[in-house]
Amino acid sequence: MASTDEELVSRSMGGDLDSFNQLVLRWERPIYALAYRVIGREEDARDVCQETFLRAFRALGGFKGQAKFSSWLYRITLNLCRDWIRRERRQPLAQTPEGVDLVELAGEAEDTESIEELVARKEIGAAVAKAMALLPEEQRTAIVLKEYHGLTFQEIADMLDCPLSTVKTRLYQGLTVLRRQLERSNVTRLKDHHV
Amino acid sequence: MCNQASKDLLVSYLYDDLNDMDRAKVDMHLRACDECRTELNALRGVRVDLASWAPPLPDLGFRIVRDAKRLADQDARPAPRPSWRSWLTPAAGLAAAATLVLAAALSLAHIEIHNGPDGFTVRTGVSKSAAAAFDARDGARAVLARDVILPSDEGIDLAGIVRRIDALESAVHDTPQLRNAVAMNARASDEELIKRVRELVARSEMKQQGELVLRIAQVVNAFDAQRKDDLAHIQANLTNLQGTVTQEVVAHRELVNYMTAGKQK
Repeated sequence: MASTDEELVSRSMGGDLDSFNQLVLRWERPIYALAYRVIGREEDARDVCQETFLRAFRALGGFKGQAKFSSWLYRITLNLCRDWIRRERRQPLAQTPEGVDLVELAGEAEDTESIEELVARKEIGAAVAKAMALLPEEQRTAIVLKEYHGLTFQEIADMLDCPLSTVKTRLYQGLTVLRRQLERSNVTRLKDHHV
Repeated sequence: MCNQASKDLLVSYLYDDLNDMDRAKVDMHLRACDECRTELNALRGVRVDLASWAPPLPDLGFRIVRDAKRLADQDARPAPRPSWRSWLTPAAGLAAAATLVLAAALSLAHIEIHNGPDGFTVRTGVSKSAAAAFDARDGARAVLARDVILPSDEGIDLAGIVRRIDALESAVHDTPQLRNAVAMNARASDEELIKRVRELVARSEMKQQGELVLRIAQVVNAFDAQRKDDLAHIQANLTNLQGTVTQEVVAHRELVNYMTAGKQK
């Protein structure tokens, strides 16, 4: 049975490097995905991811376990992303996911999904990336944490040091802007949802 | 959005984060308010679109390793039990020193070649920030899993390394066992290199294949769109032609009727 994050953190604090590297292995993809969606650049997201684990390792002694280990990592990542945005003084690039291998993607596709649907999904993904790049950092971060990492409103509020209502407002405003942008980009939606 | 339902409430409803009483209130409001219902549907649609945005799948494999200085210190301690590999140490030192010199030269061209115990890595265009991810204070750094741990950059004595290489080279020449060992290592390295190159070529081919699939799909889409346009155009022309023919038939019939009537008179 796989060890929990807490067990691995505890062993890491005792000097077990392998345990920490298990945590790295477990969390590197979510952390990379978070950094990529916030800053929008593959290579920089990789650097942020690498730096996140290094900082976490360094500061492990200060981790008191009050928050989840993943929340703590997310916070470090977001701080690094914020530093990157300030340092670069620019909006994230609307980088289409070039690294997505269509052959691999086809493997992940559902049996009923045709190549046209696959391409449509890719096109929508590119349109979403462009629209997300236009959002202010706070709105983008709130949407990424809620949509792609499944955090609760309260967890996001704690992570971003803001009231709960602010998180909801940022989400609402961000989604509304995205809605307009996506309508303008005129991409064909695969499936529609109704009440 | 109408004034009766706040956007906070709508967002909570959208993410199904309401208690039963509030949810019932929103449900009741949505039944009566077209505006809010439309907005909720639109926001749900945005959420569906958001699911299509996938990040790339890079080859990460980070791991934290101890500083090489510490490793070197550990290596310097006497081994508890000498193994059959201990006599290969000079050859390993030679290989490490040669790797260091080679890496220094290649770094000028922004190329990194790593030959570590876990594999062989060739990287180009290494970013500065990635290289900067080194923490001297705690003696740890985040590296790619396949990267070899090279000695620390601090206090490199190049002259000393060159002297050591010379000494080790002469040792290799003098010792047939070492010569054999180095030759075996070189063969093993070649095999690893070939294996890695093959992997790189295979990966590149996969990527090209993916691009080809994308291009073909785009061409098929464009072809379909063009075909639909052409069909619509043909249909419109046929309709026009049919109208013209009908008019001509009517005119012809009227003419025949007229001539028949004239003949009867």
